[in-house]
Amino acid sequence: MNGTLLFQTLVDGLILGGIFSLSAVGFSLIFGVLGVVNLAHGVFILAGAYIGLWLKGALGLDPLAAIPVVFLVLAVIGGALQRTLVSAAVQRGSLMTSLLITFGASLILRDLLILAFGPDIQSLSSTWLLRTYHVGGVVIDGARATGLLASLVLLAMLAIALHAMKVGRAIRATAQQSFAAGLCGVDSNRIYTLTFGVSAGFAGASGIIIGMINPFSPFDDAYWTLNAFVTVVLGGVGSPVGALLGGLMLGEISTLSSQYIGPRFPNVFIFCALLLMLIVRPNGLLGNAYKASV
Amino acid sequence: MKKGISRRSALGGMAVAVTAPAVFGNDSAWAQSGSTIRFGGSLGMSGRYAETGLNIRQGYETAIKFINEQKGGVEIGGKKYRVELAIVDDASDPARATSLIQRQVDGDVSFFLGSYGSNIVLPCAGITEAAGKLTVQVGASADQIFQQGYRNIFGFFPRASRAWVTSIEFFKSIAPKPKSVSIIATNDAFSKANAQAAAAGCKGIGLEVLDLLELPEQVSDASSALATIRARTPDILITTTVDQNSLVIVRQMIATDTNVPLLYQFLGPQLPMYRESLGAKATGVIMQLPWEARIDFKDPIFGSTKAYIDYYNKNNTRALSYHTVGASSCITTYVEAMRTAGSLDPAKVRNALAATNITTAFGPVKFSPEGDGDAIVMGAKIGQVQSGQVQVVYPKDVKTADLIYPTPVWAKKG
Amino acid sequence: MDAFNGRIPAGIWGLSAVLLAAAVMLPFMLSPFQIRLAQQILLFGGMAVAWQMLGGFTNYWSFGHTAFFGLGAFAAGLLAQQLDPSLSVAVKLAIGTVFAIGLALVAALAIAIPVLNLRGIYFAIAMLAFAEILAEITKTFDAFHGTSGFPLPALLVPGLTKVQLFYFLFLLLFLTNIAVFVWLRRSRIGMGLTCIGQDEDTAAMLGIPTERYKLVAFVLSAVLTAIGGVLYGYSLGFISTGSVFRIDISLNLILYTMLGGIGTVAGPIIGAALMIVLTQVVLGNLLDLHMMLTGAVLIAMVILAPKGLMGLARKAWDRRRGAAEGRP
Repeated sequence: MNGTLLFQTLVDGLILGGIFSLSAVGFSLIFGVLGVVNLAHGVFILAGAYIGLWLKGALGLDPLAAIPVVFLVLAVIGGALQRTLVSAAVQRGSLMTSLLITFGASLILRDLLILAFGPDIQSLSSTWLLRTYHVGGVVIDGARATGLLASLVLLAMLAIALHAMKVGRAIRATAQQSFAAGLCGVDSNRIYTLTFGVSAGFAGASGIIIGMINPFSPFDDAYWTLNAFVTVVLGGVGSPVGALLGGLMLGEISTLSSQYIGPRFPNVFIFCALLLMLIVRPNGLLGNAYKASV
Repeated sequence: MKKGISRRSALGGMAVAVTAPAVFGNDSAWAQSGSTIRFGGSLGMSGRYAETGLNIRQGYETAIKFINEQKGGVEIGGKKYRVELAIVDDASDPARATSLIQRQVDGDVSFFLGSYGSNIVLPCAGITEAAGKLTVQVGASADQIFQQGYRNIFGFFPRASRAWVTSIEFFKSIAPKPKSVSIIATNDAFSKANAQAAAAGCKGIGLEVLDLLELPEQVSDASSALATIRARTPDILITTTVDQNSLVIVRQMIATDTNVPLLYQFLGPQLPMYRESLGAKATGVIMQLPWEARIDFKDPIFGSTKAYIDYYNKNNTRALSYHTVGASSCITTYVEAMRTAGSLDPAKVRNALAATNITTAFGPVKFSPEGDGDAIVMGAKIGQVQSGQVQVVYPKDVKTADLIYPTPVWAKKG
Repeated sequence: MDAFNGRIPAGIWGLSAVLLAAAVMLPFMLSPFQIRLAQQILLFGGMAVAWQMLGGFTNYWSFGHTAFFGLGAFAAGLLAQQLDPSLSVAVKLAIGTVFAIGLALVAALAIAIPVLNLRGIYFAIAMLAFAEILAEITKTFDAFHGTSGFPLPALLVPGLTKVQLFYFLFLLLFLTNIAVFVWLRRSRIGMGLTCIGQDEDTAAMLGIPTERYKLVAFVLSAVLTAIGGVLYGYSLGFISTGSVFRIDISLNLILYTMLGGIGTVAGPIIGAALMIVLTQVVLGNLLDLHMMLTGAVLIAMVILAPKGLMGLARKAWDRRRGAAEGRP
């Protein structure tokens, strides 16, 4: 086996995985804290990319600099969705009804994106991102490496917020035992809204990074939701570290199987890994960050 | 209690609103009224290929608008008709597509404009064919569609296995002679069929096919395929992928410094967005050109290609694509066949379509005996991106610029 | 426990007989388009009933029933190409159905052992993954022709048009699904499954053979779904992976069930009828925005009738009866 090629493949997987991690962390948080599977996750990601596109076109804002704005906009949309529709569905029906709500919301949001931006393929790239670096025979794609770095920074910020800030602790407490957290004065409804908002914000931020690396269209949402599913199951539910681990695994499985078995095989391997992981460790490598494993 | 009632009445209202048109709705709204010719059919307007759907739809709408507003309709067999468009969204779901097409067949629509993707087109073709209705389309080119023995399905594009005739001739004309080729495809019907046709054609002229790499249908990362390309150094790299995937691949080629003397992207470089996002790096990329704006053809409805482009640009803001022109020319072709037949009888129009030999804004139109576009007459030309513009570099008699070969490495392109 | 094995009231029998007679006569009175709508209601509504055999009683919600649907279609379709071309299509269909049943049985048993140990959402995700794996396999290995697709032989019966013929085949499967579901619900297994749905650990402690009951329900549901796939494949005449392995088929089965009312026979059928008429008749001619309107109706339904239309009807009925008896 060629050592450089193996190393190159591992590096490619790492870079790809970092992006998967960031794109999945919001999904993971909502799943971990609210128990809701958010089928609108992929649309949140794309909405982030499109808002970045609009900011770039209207104000000339660089995509990376647009991340805070996009985060805020998506946080408001996400929080509003939870406050109005998701909470109503969970209260009146069951946790499972939230699936229908988020599915319906994804249909609506996607059509809104099409209405605003058309069905065309778009791209957030600027040419300076296409630089190439050579490190000891390994070729590193500048745009993707930038994406990986940005992902790591954002994930670290989330991890710090969840552990060091009061709100973060309240989120974790609610996830572990919403009833007990309520007794301690935590308003769980507020925490749910906040979690949904923060998660949507992270999805939007990852949309910017995805948009800088790959072209996107309004119909990619299912792809990203599915990737988030896989990432969360591989890594673990509800924590940035779990998302990071899951994303990296997904990236490595994808590039290794593509390089050494055949470029058309990664999807088969990804889903087999997912099934295997579910059977062996249903809560992912790290388990559920909050609740005891079922 | 109060809340329950209001909720109940709201639901009741909704149920009535939803079911009433279903029960009382009347399909005769679809019927071919006396002085109107209705064109039916479906398009995938929501789904991965919705961009193509929108391009095709605008082409249909442009032709319909022009015929009604500028020409005051069409005269067939001494009678004046307005034309009308009644296409629906099949959402790329065969269950939905077949039922909506059935609705139009029931409503006496006789002239269909097709969708794309053989898993939609074939089940629908089964319905229209059995009912003796016609289809002319500018989307689907899978070989299977033209191997069923259907008599009433016509397509503008030559079937996939014949779509590479011009390209292979082009490869032969390149000097210095390329020796090897690699192909990247994605795992979908369109890309796969074209990759196989390209590989067969290349082998036929003695080009060595080093690899035929297949990526998943939606490409987010092509790094491993590109690592293989870097190791094997082919003279030509062909990608038979759709626009979005082509862009992923080329951007990753730039980013990983994967250089080939000639990059041939079947689809992608035709889009202005592709060229803008790559800037100077796009220089030298080769593509198929099913249509080229600078080659002027006479058109029996619009007058000429140039007149068509002017009319389109006056009425639309969306950039003109070859699908759009092709879609307009589908309707031109239909109308010409109706005029020739002097009748709206599908059987007569069918025979006129089979014998079609005209030029339209899209170019010459002539169908093979099985119904797909004639590979020589309707075959694509070869284009190359040069300073941000698409130039025709082959065939020689229509070329607008000389081929750049070998193309400079990425680092040297601005 | 009269909910489980009490006699089915005469009124229900009567109503069923009237509905059945109507269903048999319909295809001779409706237009082909309307028959196609009815076909889809029978097929997908019927499959939603099959889905309920496990998902209706318990929290084991399969998000991947399209796996069995596609498996059936591919098994029968690929087998038809291998069979002696001189065989009549009806025989091919029969052999294909038997083959699909066998294959679905094996696949369901093989997958059931690991996935039925998963609870709640994890079971759902595992089934989703299973469906994706099968879809990817049919696309990845050329032997299955999933990418480019393949034709299925055309079934013809003299005296019936193609739409009528498949209407009756779907009706047959639909009735089978309902019969199996009603039998299951009234059997000891149904009672056991209901207990599992309430509290699986307690049920197991009380000596209910939970594993076996879940397995039976899962396998029945899978096999009936696979037959649906066989018939659907034949009705289309040409399929690819994209025609039969569709996440939206899996989601729709759940959607129909929840809209109509989970755990009931009529619920999934009402749900299917509502959504199919909505998307293909009411919004059928819209080129844009019909997805958005579908989403809006979906959300409105869930918020206004969280227990489904059947739940709403039952509540209204109870209220009216309560009023009639002078209770508040």
